[in-house]
Amino acid sequence: MNNRKIVKGIKYSNFKYLLLTLILVIFNILGIKAQSKKAVEINFLMPAPFAESTKDLVKEFNQDKNNKINIKVTKGPLETESVSDLAISSLLLGDNSFDVILIDITWLPKYAAAGWLVSLDQFIEKGEWESLAPGARLGNSYENKIYRWPFVADMGLLYWRSDLMPEPPKTPEELIDISLKLKQAGKVKYGYVWQGRQYEGLICVFLEVLNAFGGGWINDSNEITLSNKKSIQAANWLKRLISSGVSPKSVTNFSETEALQAFKEGNAALMRNWPYAWAELQKESSAVKGKVSIANMIAKNNQVPVSTLGSWGFSVLQGSKNKSEAYRAIKYLTSTNSQKRLFLNNGYTPTRIDLFKDKELISNSPILAMLGKALSSAKPRPETPYYAQISNILQTQISAILTDNKPIDEAMKLAEIKTRQIISSSGQK
Amino acid sequence: MYPILLLPALILLFGVFGIPIVRYIWLSFHTSSVLTDLLPIPNNGANWIRLFSDSRFWQDAIQTFRFAISSVILEILIAISIAILLNQTFKNRGIVRTITLLPWALPTTIMALSWRWIFNTPYGPIEQILTLFHLNSINILSSPKIAWFATVIADVWKTTPFIALIILAGLQTIPEDLYEAFKLEGGNEFSAFQKITLPLLQPYIFLGLLFRFAQAFGVFDLIQIMTGGGPASTTESLSLYAYLNALRYLDFGYSSTIIIATFILMIIFSLFTWILIRQTKSLLSIR
Repeated sequence: MNNRKIVKGIKYSNFKYLLLTLILVIFNILGIKAQSKKAVEINFLMPAPFAESTKDLVKEFNQDKNNKINIKVTKGPLETESVSDLAISSLLLGDNSFDVILIDITWLPKYAAAGWLVSLDQFIEKGEWESLAPGARLGNSYENKIYRWPFVADMGLLYWRSDLMPEPPKTPEELIDISLKLKQAGKVKYGYVWQGRQYEGLICVFLEVLNAFGGGWINDSNEITLSNKKSIQAANWLKRLISSGVSPKSVTNFSETEALQAFKEGNAALMRNWPYAWAELQKESSAVKGKVSIANMIAKNNQVPVSTLGSWGFSVLQGSKNKSEAYRAIKYLTSTNSQKRLFLNNGYTPTRIDLFKDKELISNSPILAMLGKALSSAKPRPETPYYAQISNILQTQISAILTDNKPIDEAMKLAEIKTRQIISSSGQK
Repeated sequence: MYPILLLPALILLFGVFGIPIVRYIWLSFHTSSVLTDLLPIPNNGANWIRLFSDSRFWQDAIQTFRFAISSVILEILIAISIAILLNQTFKNRGIVRTITLLPWALPTTIMALSWRWIFNTPYGPIEQILTLFHLNSINILSSPKIAWFATVIADVWKTTPFIALIILAGLQTIPEDLYEAFKLEGGNEFSAFQKITLPLLQPYIFLGLLFRFAQAFGVFDLIQIMTGGGPASTTESLSLYAYLNALRYLDFGYSSTIIIATFILMIIFSLFTWILIRQTKSLLSIR
C-alpha cells in the first residue's frame, strides 16, 4: 500500500515537471522568435578564456537596443589547437552555425586558402587599418587580402628578475654568463626557463633564437636556410643552454605552464613567455611579485632582437548570412574602449596604436611601453597554408637535437630537405 | 534458417563500417587538400607512392607495433595474475573486484593527464622520489629512448582490468572437479596451473589479445595528451599521424591513405596472429 502511494506521488510530480518544462519551452521559442525579429544574431566561436573575458562587453552590447545586433558567444575548448579542430570540423561539414571565429595567427593562411574566410577589405574604411599598431597589422592577410581583424597582440618576452641582476642580458653570451653566475652563487636553481616540449611553443622560441643569430627558416623568395652556418649556430646555442646547465634538462618537456611555474616559485632567473604571464606573476601566490621586469629578446650584437608574433584576431566566415553585421560586432569588441578594458582587467595587449600612448593605461601599467616596443619588433611565422606541416617537421628535428636523439647538423639538414619537399610540392599547383 | 533476418544487421554493418572504408579507399587515390580547394581530384596513386617513401609513416608504424605488442603482452601477463587472485574466495572480494575495475572506467583523457603529471620533471612524484634518494633525474617524457615505454605503462595501467575481467570469466568456467581430480592424482599447484588453467584459459586469453591489440594499434588520445607525439616524434602513432594530416594539414587524400594502410597492416598482423594461435592450439591438442 505504502509503496503504491509513493509511486503515485512520483508520477504526479513528474507530470507537474513535464508541464512546467513544456511551458518553459514554449515561452523560449516565442521569446527567441520575438528577439530575432528585432536583432540579428551573430555567433562567435572563441577559445574558453576569451569567451570568459569578453562576457561583460558582450552583455553591454546586447543590452543596447540601438545596435540591432545580438552577439552570441560559443565557448570553445581551452586548448588552442582543439579550437581549430572544432572549427575545421564544423567548416568541413558545411555547417553555418558560426559567423565569426577568433583565430590564431598561424591558422590564417590555411583557412583563407581553403576558402572559408571572407575578405575584410570590402568593409574596412579608409584610415581604419592605420589605427592599428604596425606590429599588429602583420599576419592578417593572405595573398594581399585582409582576412582577420587583430584582437589581442601577443609576442615573446624575456622576463627577468630585477632583484638578481641590474639589467637584463642583451646577447646570447650574456644570458649564459648571468645565468651560470647566479646558479653558481646559489641564488636560483635554474638560469633560464623556456618552452622546449615538442609543440608549437618550441618553434616560437627557436625562431627568436634563429633571428638572434641572423639565421632563418624560409625567406621571402621561398629559400630554406635551416642548415646554413648561422641557423646551426642558433640550434647549437639552444642545445648549449641545456648541456651547460643554464636550463634544466626537463625544459625539453616544458610548455608555457611549466616555465611559468618554475619562474613563479622563484626557481629561475630568466624566462621566455608571453604577455599573459605578467598578470600571473603579480598575484599574491607569486614568490617573485615586484621582483620581475620584462625586456626584449636577446640578439647577437649585429642583429636586431625579434619576438615571435602570436596574436588572436576575428575572421568572418564565408557561411555567415550577416557579414556586415558580423564586421560591426568585431569592430565593437576591438574598439578603443573595449581594448582598454580588456587590458586593464585581463592584461590583453592592445592592437590599436593610440592605446600605447593612453595616459590612463600608462599610469596603470609599468610594462605597456615595453609591450609596445616588443610588438614593434615582432615578426610573424612563415605565412603559408602549409605552416602546420613545416612547423611539425621543424619541431620534430629541434626536439631530436635537444634530447640528444640526433646530431645538430644532421637534424637541421633533414629539416631543410623535408621542408623543401613540402614547399616544392605545393608549388606544383 | 531465415537468412533474411540477418539483413537489418548486415545493412547496419555496411552503413557503419562498409561505406566509410570504401570512401577512404576512394579518397586515398585522390588529392584533396587546400591545393585543390578541398575537392577530390584523381592523382593516379600519388598518395600511395608517397606513403612508401615516407620515412615518417614507417617510423610511426614501427612505433605503433612496438607500443601495441609490448602493452598487450604486459597486460595479459598482469591480467592473468590479477584474475587468479580475484578468483580466490576472500573477505570483501566484491569490493576488491570493483576497485580493480576502476582504472578501466576512467576516461582516457583524465588518466593520460594524470600520467603526464606523474612522469613530469621536476614536479612529478617519480622525480620527487628520485630526489629524495639523491638519484639523478631521468626526464622520462623527454627522453626519446624511454618516453614510449612511459606511454605503455599508462596504457597497461588503464586496460589491464579489461583483460582481467575476460580472463576471470574464463576462470569461472573451469570446473573445480578438475583441480580436485588433479590433486588426487598427486599434482601440485604449479603444474595444475600449467596443465589445467592455462590450456582452458587459452580461448579467453586469445580473445583479450585480439581485442586489445586492435585497440592498442589505433591508440590516439593517450599519446596525444601524454606526449603529443614527442619527444622527436618517437611516440607518434599511426592514428596521430593520420589525424595531423587531416585536421592540421587539411590533406585529406593523404590522411585517408594512412588510414587504409594502417587498416591493411592491422589485417596482416591479425591474420598472422590467428595462424599462430591455430598452430599453438593444434600443438597443444597433440600433447
